[in-house]
Amino acid sequence: MQRVKSGPGLTRWIAALALLLALVGEAAAHASLTGAEPRDGAVIATAPEGFRLDFSEPVSPLVLRIVRPDGEAVDLGDFAVRDRSVEIEAPAGLEDGTHVLTWRVVSADGHPVGGSVVFSIGAPGAAPPPVPEPVDWTVRTAVWLAKIGLYVGLFLGAGGAFALAWFVPVSRVASRAVLAFVAIGLAAAAISPGLQGLDALGAPITRFADPAIWQAGLETSFGLTVKLVLAALVAAGIAALSKNAGLSRILATGALAAGAYALTVSGHASAAEPQWLTRPAVALHAATIAVWVGALVPLGLGLRANAFDAARGLERFSTFIPFAVAGLIAAGIVLAVIQVETPAALVDTAYGRLLLAKLGCLTALFALAAVNRWRLTRPALAGDARALVRSIAAETLVVLVILAIAAGWRFTPPPRALALAAAQPASVHIHTAEAMADVSVTPGRAGAVSVSAMIMTGDFGPLDAREVAFVFANPDAGIEPFRRQAEKPGDGTWRADDVILPLAGRWTVRLDILVTDFDIVRLTTEIDIRP
Amino acid sequence: MFKHIITAAGLLALGTSAAFAHVSLEGKEAAIGSTYKAVFRVPHGCEGEPTNVVRVRIPEGVIAVKPMPKPGWELEKVRGDYGTTYEYHGSEVSEGVTEIVWSGGNLADDEYDEFVLRGYLTPALAAGETLYFPVVQECPGGLAERWIEVPAEGQSADDLEMPAPGVAIIEAAGGH
Repeated sequence: MQRVKSGPGLTRWIAALALLLALVGEAAAHASLTGAEPRDGAVIATAPEGFRLDFSEPVSPLVLRIVRPDGEAVDLGDFAVRDRSVEIEAPAGLEDGTHVLTWRVVSADGHPVGGSVVFSIGAPGAAPPPVPEPVDWTVRTAVWLAKIGLYVGLFLGAGGAFALAWFVPVSRVASRAVLAFVAIGLAAAAISPGLQGLDALGAPITRFADPAIWQAGLETSFGLTVKLVLAALVAAGIAALSKNAGLSRILATGALAAGAYALTVSGHASAAEPQWLTRPAVALHAATIAVWVGALVPLGLGLRANAFDAARGLERFSTFIPFAVAGLIAAGIVLAVIQVETPAALVDTAYGRLLLAKLGCLTALFALAAVNRWRLTRPALAGDARALVRSIAAETLVVLVILAIAAGWRFTPPPRALALAAAQPASVHIHTAEAMADVSVTPGRAGAVSVSAMIMTGDFGPLDAREVAFVFANPDAGIEPFRRQAEKPGDGTWRADDVILPLAGRWTVRLDILVTDFDIVRLTTEIDIRP
Repeated sequence: MFKHIITAAGLLALGTSAAFAHVSLEGKEAAIGSTYKAVFRVPHGCEGEPTNVVRVRIPEGVIAVKPMPKPGWELEKVRGDYGTTYEYHGSEVSEGVTEIVWSGGNLADDEYDEFVLRGYLTPALAAGETLYFPVVQECPGGLAERWIEVPAEGQSADDLEMPAPGVAIIEAAGGH
């Protein structure tokens, strides 16, 4: 046995002698890996003390390195060549996760060949998640405040106009308050496209006046929401101002409908499947919130100014509001179930935690509403509304907190979307004169994946291959190729499950397609794997 | 450093001996218009398993192929249409043997053997090019070694993982 320490000197000597060999040798062979310890694809319980690579003939290593789960490559200098095997001492402190033992050797014919052995300690793992993008808190706060402003305009403004038009006796002070809410909503809607644009393009607040920013903001689905909200708020404002009761009712109802519809054309909940359920649920949720919370401020102000007059409105409100609240809760539950998917996500994700916070506030709100209804409404109808007015003011504050929490969802993709994004495959299309293939890696991120390919001839005809193999390599990370044989599950694709791509980044993938016993087609391309 | 050189020198010695892992053809050249005797050298089996079947595909331009029988191996001559019609001793030939299969043998991984056929190299072949004979070695358990890759433009056989054995085509001897 010869024990050698590798180094640049050795590599150079071998390369030079290899060249000589290539000239002398005749039809000599490339070495091929016949076995490895740990074997390719293995999951082992504890870190190995050493590695062994067995070849079809004697070889001399040029490069031996291990790529750790975090992507760091470590050169393995301590090895021994024994007959047709290379025995390598493992570096200390190998952690759990997927490692790649990557090798490049030269054999008798002088042609260097390379390959990789992928193995996992403990369980297959992926690289740690990347550092998140820095958050521009100025823009984010502005977007959040504008979103709260929009909600105030829609729920307190348009909802208030609806209450004034239909069941709360009109008072000067109540109309003024509703108009103020509408004005807040209008201001927020007016600046929203600019803020949306800043957030979409990741631009700083200093570029707020840039037309390109506004254009970008309006081009998102949020653009239509803004236009509808503006229309709804203008209609609500006219309804609150108008002395014509019939016109007010028509405009206020239209404003409510437009506002509810506006919230269905953008946002997380409206993007969720099934849309036939989520969009009407969003609209119902929004409309019932507006009817309920919109009535609070006119009612409270009316009761404070003239309890006797407002009491009739209170009576009507008390009669039908349970139906609105029932619709609100039903729609809310439907949306929460679709968005959160699993109970664990309530605690594990920012979206879920916001939902929990909102539910907490909602419990307080319903408690106040119950007190109002069963304890304070009767004295108010009898003429003493002071306690009820105070309670309604508290209710309104809780509503504002809930709106602020709901506006925070703007920044937290729901668990449904997170799961969807993580499962998204990475796909690539290869087309040559001989053959073409659509290759998908699912999910398209580092870790355990399944690889599938749809194969056709170069002119889109059927290609009934005998065998297909995927060969992966990552030259940037110094990972030499490793091969995974594909199976034919019978759906027209070729598939290899339990493939582990240990690192994110650009991988080269080669398809070896055996067309007949004697014909092979090799297609090579690159595919980007997410962290 | 001495040890490094010794290692490399050891490899050099191995290289000059017969450490051929590829299926290869004996002889470097074959002349157009001659009957060429192709000797396929099979140096080992598949991943340690013995070889049971050796299949050779006859390339276009090689006609009137006759394999040499081998004791212990069954011989199959697969016939098919040629891509074109060739003139052979005054007659038109458009079909013949396109694949030869030696099967039922048992060539251990640590043994060596040769498989022989002969065929006429028609003038349709071009001098200066390499004539490739794709070979498939089959072993028990569905294992196979496929020496079937032909270099593309700008490639050499050394760039390939599984190069088909080839022989250089030269001008007809005697210039007739």
